[in-house]
Amino acid sequence: MSVFVIGYYAALICASCLAAYFNYRKVFMMVFSLTLISFVLGIIGGVPALRNVTIAAGMLALAAGVSYAFREFLIQIAKPDLAKELRTAPLTASFGMFVVFTYAIAGIFAPWIAPYGEAEVITSAFAPADRDMLLGADQLGRDVFSRLIYGARNTVGIALVATILAFIMGALAGLLAAVKGGWFDQVMGRFADVIMSIPSLIFALLMLSILGPKIWVIVIVVAIIYAPRVFRLTRAVAGNIVVMDYIEAAKLRGEGDWYLIRREILPNSTAPLIAEFGLEFCFVFLLIAGLSFLGLGIQPPTADWGSMVRENATLISFGDITPLIPAAAIALLTVSVNFVVDWMLFRSSGLKEQ
Amino acid sequence: MSKFSKKDILLEIEDLQIQGYSDEQWVDIIKGVDLTLHRGEVLGLIGESGAGKSTIGAAAMGYARDGTRISGGTIEFDGMELTTASEAEKRALRGSRIAYVAQSAAASFNPAHKIIDQHTEAPVQYRIQKRLEAQEDAMKLYEQLRLPNPEEIGFRYPHQVSGGQLQRAMTAMAMSCRPDLIIFDEPTTALDVTTQIEVLAAIRDIVDQFNTAAIYITHDLAVVAQMADTIKVLLKGEEVEQASTEEMLENPKEEYTKSLWAVRSFKREQKSRPTDGTEPIISVKNIDASYTGSAKVLDDVSFDIYPGMTVAVVGESGSGKSTVARCITGLLPPSKGEILFRGEPLPPDYHKRTRDQLRQAQMIYQMADTALNPKVQIHEIIGRPARFYSGLKGSALKQRVDELLDLIELEPSQYYNRYPPELSGGQKQRVGIARALAAEPDFIICDEVTSALDQLVAEGILRLLDRLQQELGLAYMFITHDLATVRSIADEVVVMQNGKVVEQGPKDEMFTPPHHPYTDLLLSSVPEMDPNWLTTLLEERGVDNVGESADV
Repeated sequence: MSVFVIGYYAALICASCLAAYFNYRKVFMMVFSLTLISFVLGIIGGVPALRNVTIAAGMLALAAGVSYAFREFLIQIAKPDLAKELRTAPLTASFGMFVVFTYAIAGIFAPWIAPYGEAEVITSAFAPADRDMLLGADQLGRDVFSRLIYGARNTVGIALVATILAFIMGALAGLLAAVKGGWFDQVMGRFADVIMSIPSLIFALLMLSILGPKIWVIVIVVAIIYAPRVFRLTRAVAGNIVVMDYIEAAKLRGEGDWYLIRREILPNSTAPLIAEFGLEFCFVFLLIAGLSFLGLGIQPPTADWGSMVRENATLISFGDITPLIPAAAIALLTVSVNFVVDWMLFRSSGLKEQ
Repeated sequence: MSKFSKKDILLEIEDLQIQGYSDEQWVDIIKGVDLTLHRGEVLGLIGESGAGKSTIGAAAMGYARDGTRISGGTIEFDGMELTTASEAEKRALRGSRIAYVAQSAAASFNPAHKIIDQHTEAPVQYRIQKRLEAQEDAMKLYEQLRLPNPEEIGFRYPHQVSGGQLQRAMTAMAMSCRPDLIIFDEPTTALDVTTQIEVLAAIRDIVDQFNTAAIYITHDLAVVAQMADTIKVLLKGEEVEQASTEEMLENPKEEYTKSLWAVRSFKREQKSRPTDGTEPIISVKNIDASYTGSAKVLDDVSFDIYPGMTVAVVGESGSGKSTVARCITGLLPPSKGEILFRGEPLPPDYHKRTRDQLRQAQMIYQMADTALNPKVQIHEIIGRPARFYSGLKGSALKQRVDELLDLIELEPSQYYNRYPPELSGGQKQRVGIARALAAEPDFIICDEVTSALDQLVAEGILRLLDRLQQELGLAYMFITHDLATVRSIADEVVVMQNGKVVEQGPKDEMFTPPHHPYTDLLLSSVPEMDPNWLTTLLEERGVDNVGESADV
């Protein structure tokens, strides 16, 4: 029995006793269940298994601590109204915001943060990690860490532009359809149906192989694929608002469609639209990464997470996890954005009860 | 109390305190209310909205709504303490021994199931009756509640039955387990006066007959006077006073109660049409109208509105009152006939009207909640028409908004930057009035402006409208189903039924016999403060089944 194992069990049992004494039921149940599980785990896996549990718990605690501190930080710097909203954010949401914030910093300041250029060949292929290259080299001898940082800029940036474009097209069409109604609504609706009836990945592959995998083509094709979803949501949300008496009052005043959309409908539909923006961003992001993986997205030597996974895929057969790192970066961002979106969705649905 | 002895106590609430969660802290809603209810007693709970009537009603079932909690006091139902009872124990009581009749039966029935399926659910669930027995019992109850075709009506879906019938079906459903206590939460508020009578009579019969205790929650004094043995008046979560119905009506003690009673006292001089040949400001000439693909909603409707006068358009729901307003504003172009504004025909579709024509006819809506954009500040709501029509900007606009806020008796500095959800119902309605005034119109359509408000607040709005009319010389078209409102504010009355004008003329003529039979029906259906009014009325109308069904 090493000191570590004795300390491990002592800490867990102390913690559960304290939790029980101070009547924190949930904490007690969690900690004590972990203690019981650890008995079995310790017998089967030995000390390394317990070490892994400790590391996992430590990381979880670290993430929680960072989220908590980050939320407090945001509350401090935000305006009073926003700060009040932020106070209601759960830890998962502030963790999500923290990750998004980190990615944004990495993307914006990529040339300064990354030690090497994204296309710079600095060593031999598949060189292992050392002090200069935190994550080793890829199949051409480029620094994986640098490419990961540049990838944040390229992949996330393109996804963001495509999502914004999809939103501008979809939301505008949806709002107009709701306000105008009649034949305009019908035409837009059927047009959206046509686009949605084509499988999105096949449509994207088709367009990209016809027009060539240029960045603007990717952005526009992806935006066209996702605009109908935004259209349908916006039209449904706005459809509930245009029947209100205040819209009728504005119409009878002689207001134009643009005023109705801008001043009367948009302020009442922002919450669901922002939530939808987060969700769509994840889908767009995954689609672009997927296209890159298939070789029709962002072209080499530009760093991109999707193509990085593909290029280094052979390493998996040798038990190296390097190709999984960009994949993990994609997963982390998607999960984080969803954490934030969940909170916003909860808020926008909660507001209705007022 | 002589009628009820001490040992008959069914429900005893002592020092009840309920808190609600808002702005991240618990606020007191009910601040220590006592309530005693005997078997067979009907207690009327009255008060303005926000007085905590419904909250107490729910608490009598041991239930606290979402976002509220019972923070103190005791609720004892037939020897059982509800505040400490487990959820399972309370669930066993609800439906079987305590039943609840909600305000909107249409919203409370599940539209996917037949009425009788929903009716028999409770007795079958509690194993009181077998399904077939329960079904037969339901038919008996329907008959006693004077529903048409009692054998068959239960097999319809809720949307196939009218509002008043649905409310009675709901009362029957509450009766299905023969509970000891029924809580009626404003059961007739959403109904027309003529339908209200049927429901009131039905409820009263059945409560009498089964000796059920009831808590009757309403804001209408005249209604509660018909139903209750005892009346309790509430204000902001506190009891004002409690007394038996006769005593309460004859000599209320507290100032607040007296003010409630005096609400209907507002009356103003009746004006008559100008005789100097002034043209009517709005003249509706023989209009027909229908919504797409359905039958005629309006049939040959004509009336005139002269400057500075108030014309009340009355009728049940579905009589076409609001449709006339939609035709005048141009939302629904009439299929025949025309609308003249100061002798000039108005284009039927509002898209084709000029800005000035649109400015002249403004509208105030029934539901202030949906009439004001919740995400726009008050100064923007009121300022927009002023900027839109008169082109006011900067400080001139601000001054105009302040002026309008003064006009509707809201402190400008306090309300300038607020949002509509932060205002009370009456304040919202005032903002709605200010928005109409901002356009400087000559003619305003008031669509049931007071029907969603409490009586005290409604009276304030009526006084405000009257003052504005005197100061600004406005003409009102006042759509309402409440004849008390008509009595207080109208100069002329137009009575509508099934899309036709059945009678019109000056108010004093309309309120003195002889009437058109329909006008007569409407007039006699308005509840009066006299506790014997309902009994007398039912005897007069010859639909008196009261004694008969009470004998069963």
